[in-house]
Amino acid sequence: MLFRKSIIFSLTLLMILGSMFLVFGSVSAQDKPYEGTKINVLVWRDAHTKAVKERVSEFEEMTGIDVVIDDLPTQSLTQKMAMNVTTETGKYDLVAVDEPYVPQFAEYFLDYKDWPAPKVMDGKIQLSEIPEGAVTAAAWNNSIKGLPINANAYIMIYRKDLVENKENQKAFKDEYGYELQAPDTLEQLNDMAEFFYNPDEMMYGYAPFTVKSEGATVEAMWLFKSFGVDILDQNLNVVLDVDKAVAALDYYKKILEFGPPSKLSMGHPETIQNVNAGNVFATLQWPAIIAGHENPKESRVAGKLGYPLNPEGPGGRAAITGVWSLTMPKVSENKQAAAEFAYWWGSYESGKELVEAGMSPIRKDLLTDPMLQKDHPWYKSVLANLDKAAVHRPRFPEYMKVSDKVQLYFAKVINNEMEPRKAMTEMKSEIENIIEEYKND
Amino acid sequence: MLNKDVSKWKLNKKAIFYISVLILLLIELFPIILVFLTSFKSQIDIFNANPFSAFMPTLDNYKEVLIDRTFLNNLKHSMIIALVTTTISVVFGVMASYSFARFNFKGDQKIGLAILASRMIPPITLSVPLFLLMRKVALLDTYFGLILAHVSFIMPYVIWMTLPFFQGIPKAYEEAALIDGCSRFGAFYKIFVPLVAPGLVVSATFSFLFSWNDFLYALILAGSELKTAPIVVSGFIGQFGPKWGSMTAAGSLILIPIFIFALILQKYIISGLAVGGID
Amino acid sequence: MIKKLKNTIEGSLIKWGFLEKKDDIIPYAFLAPALIILGGILFFPLVYSFVLSFFNWNMTQSGGAEFVFLDNFIKLFGNGAFWHSVRLQVLFVAISVFLELLIGLGVAMLLNHNFAGEHVVRALLLLPVFILPVVSGLTFRFMYDPQYGAINWLIGLFGFNPVPFLSKSTFAFVAIIIQDVWRMWPFMFMILYASLSSLPESPYEAAAISGATKWQVFRHVTLPMLKPSIVIAVILRIVNALKAFSEIYVMTNGGPGDATSIMSIFIYKNAFDFYEMGYSAAASYVLVAIALAFSIYLVKTQFEF
Repeated sequence: MLFRKSIIFSLTLLMILGSMFLVFGSVSAQDKPYEGTKINVLVWRDAHTKAVKERVSEFEEMTGIDVVIDDLPTQSLTQKMAMNVTTETGKYDLVAVDEPYVPQFAEYFLDYKDWPAPKVMDGKIQLSEIPEGAVTAAAWNNSIKGLPINANAYIMIYRKDLVENKENQKAFKDEYGYELQAPDTLEQLNDMAEFFYNPDEMMYGYAPFTVKSEGATVEAMWLFKSFGVDILDQNLNVVLDVDKAVAALDYYKKILEFGPPSKLSMGHPETIQNVNAGNVFATLQWPAIIAGHENPKESRVAGKLGYPLNPEGPGGRAAITGVWSLTMPKVSENKQAAAEFAYWWGSYESGKELVEAGMSPIRKDLLTDPMLQKDHPWYKSVLANLDKAAVHRPRFPEYMKVSDKVQLYFAKVINNEMEPRKAMTEMKSEIENIIEEYKND
Repeated sequence: MLNKDVSKWKLNKKAIFYISVLILLLIELFPIILVFLTSFKSQIDIFNANPFSAFMPTLDNYKEVLIDRTFLNNLKHSMIIALVTTTISVVFGVMASYSFARFNFKGDQKIGLAILASRMIPPITLSVPLFLLMRKVALLDTYFGLILAHVSFIMPYVIWMTLPFFQGIPKAYEEAALIDGCSRFGAFYKIFVPLVAPGLVVSATFSFLFSWNDFLYALILAGSELKTAPIVVSGFIGQFGPKWGSMTAAGSLILIPIFIFALILQKYIISGLAVGGID
Repeated sequence: MIKKLKNTIEGSLIKWGFLEKKDDIIPYAFLAPALIILGGILFFPLVYSFVLSFFNWNMTQSGGAEFVFLDNFIKLFGNGAFWHSVRLQVLFVAISVFLELLIGLGVAMLLNHNFAGEHVVRALLLLPVFILPVVSGLTFRFMYDPQYGAINWLIGLFGFNPVPFLSKSTFAFVAIIIQDVWRMWPFMFMILYASLSSLPESPYEAAAISGATKWQVFRHVTLPMLKPSIVIAVILRIVNALKAFSEIYVMTNGGPGDATSIMSIFIYKNAFDFYEMGYSAAASYVLVAIALAFSIYLVKTQFEF
């Protein structure tokens, strides 16, 4: 009896819960050129794409195209894309691809020059509207494989308010013998990280990026490149200079001393938390995330950050790019409509509105717009870094295997589990094996 | 004098027992309590390491999760998929189990062993071929595809769990019905099923929970149109920034049906765990 | 109508020698829906991935698959990273399941008498078992944080320095085990508790008469009677622990370095980061073989046909 009661009870509960989700409505548009056309768009998930999602209804009303935006965290996105674009069925009409994966999937994408011209939008986006360092991110085998849409570069951010503080300036000069200002070289960055490091007050000098993920590869590549180390050359030869790489790692271990307690397992959540809580002096960050640091609702350091050029190391300045491109799978059945949407996304007019909703722009005219720059002080730095310091990760279809090894040995060194020299030598030979195997296939 | 000491000792012993149970519960439930607490904190209060430090409770996280309907939609997908998966798995699984329990037939051992052992195959192994297969027959991103994938590991579970239970039910009732002119299926449906109803509830509960909690298949086989709740929850902690508030709010919402099940059906769930384990 | 159909099918099956007499079809009829579904979505994919393990196929390259016979397995067994993942997998399963058994058994003994609130306690202990592994993994990642995490806050209360749980190889491995133990010891507890409360009284009476100490009673009376349940609980957990994936994936992604790259992470990486479908199929068949060895033993002891 009791048993029957509990069945009835749980069934009723299920029904109530179920019916809660069944109320839906749909909007129908009339008299639009693309009436009834539906496109599926696969994008990464961050503030940029959230803005697009929020404003997409404007595009839908204008054209009658029904846009279904599927947003996923970066890692899941790549898998999803891999599984979909390599098939004949072609569910997606536009797919956002992160820069290092362009070579891997290039053969499945339509060259940008072959994208259809629009009927509703004003015209194709001219690639000259986009900084060159970002355009080359979409290049493979001498053609541009999609429309670069997000000017992502890994740039330095630091606590401007602390540097401008008079007492700090005096104390710093007494200790280090030169003026306290935005860190311009890696040595200065290290000095300042040391100067501001005060664990008792939960204040740390530099927030590294070390958790096992593609982000750690980017951090390592930034470091290597700043010390003049390349991993692969254009012809897929492993050119890693072990001596320089060891010097780079020695430097990194030094500055790690001034990192927060979680310094050896820091990923986006940890870094964002540290920066927003006002606990770090400097770090490298992606523009899309910076918008959150400047949001007073989420962050205690809104308005207090400075954006210099990335500091100069023995090998120069390096800003690793992570430009997302919109690509069009060759198997898409709605190329015309998909192109319209991409042109809308990339246009100046809609860009202005999307920026307000949180999009990180790629167009030069938006990045240089003085009005926008006032509210988004990092735009200047993005542009300057793309212009002077843009560095791409190795371009190679099996890049992920290389990245995996870089993460592994980078972690072993900073965890003090392996001597830098031994680690770099092993890493080099493992990467050589990967390349050799790839060439043999 | 002595008596008083003894009763005092007994009281103390009881107190010690209850205190240790309380401590045990506190430790064990700490992460869950933390999830609930965090779901009512603002992003800035979450920075405070002491989870019990004073904070202004806010419903913002729930608002954010619920306001644009995406998450409600995801819950709906999860619900539909879990309900249909449960129905298919239980109905057909119980029939199969009945067949094993009641008949001796050619190949029953081999088939039974294969089905039962297959429950133990790590889903990561099946994810690749299932994906390739569903791609071929255009079942990716469909309810049906994901439901089938869930059935592939939940139905063997149902068989596994109900089989020993069925074997314990005496055959006499059905035999009487058969003699009275009932068909085999009639005897199964009218006599046997009501007898084993408690077992069915257990297996249905578990089927629902396993489908509700599935992450891997949902990640690989489903797209925007039927993203399930677990996928969305993990998405809150990504490049987007650590949306601990949203994650914990959504996580708490997902926990609700589990709470309800655990509290109402506790007795059955425990007997089910003892036989079938967990997926 | 149905009867007629049944007769026709039966007739032809008997004629072809599949069945001996009428009504032999009934068990197969009950079995058929399950078999058809499982055949399509379980056994076929299994065979498919077995075949795949003999091919060299990178999914992102349009070249297609190339038959290489045992090359994938040879490459696999020569790969240090693979053996590393096997070793971690074995350690992970052995340590977590052992700890879960200890705690589960201990708590079951502690709670093994009637007390007020018994039901509530058991219901509450059930919750971790059913929490979404992803939520559990993420929550632990959050709690382990040296600055903002609750665990380190607790450690700090006792005056110790924060432990960077997910930063050092050993710590990270311990951390994923703690997460697993936290989630799964109540499972052991439930099974052993149920079994304890159904043990017969008479052996205990006999032990009391012979004046055995509490430990002796436990060692020589309780434990032997519990043994069958322990074996089943342990094997169920072993096979379940072999499936661990999503919680580790969100907690450490196999890092730092490769310190928590258990087999499922290794397979996942090769399949869904490198898209080496044949190679990852070969690796997953090793995992299947381990899981099957345990489960066939379990099935044979737990079921009779």
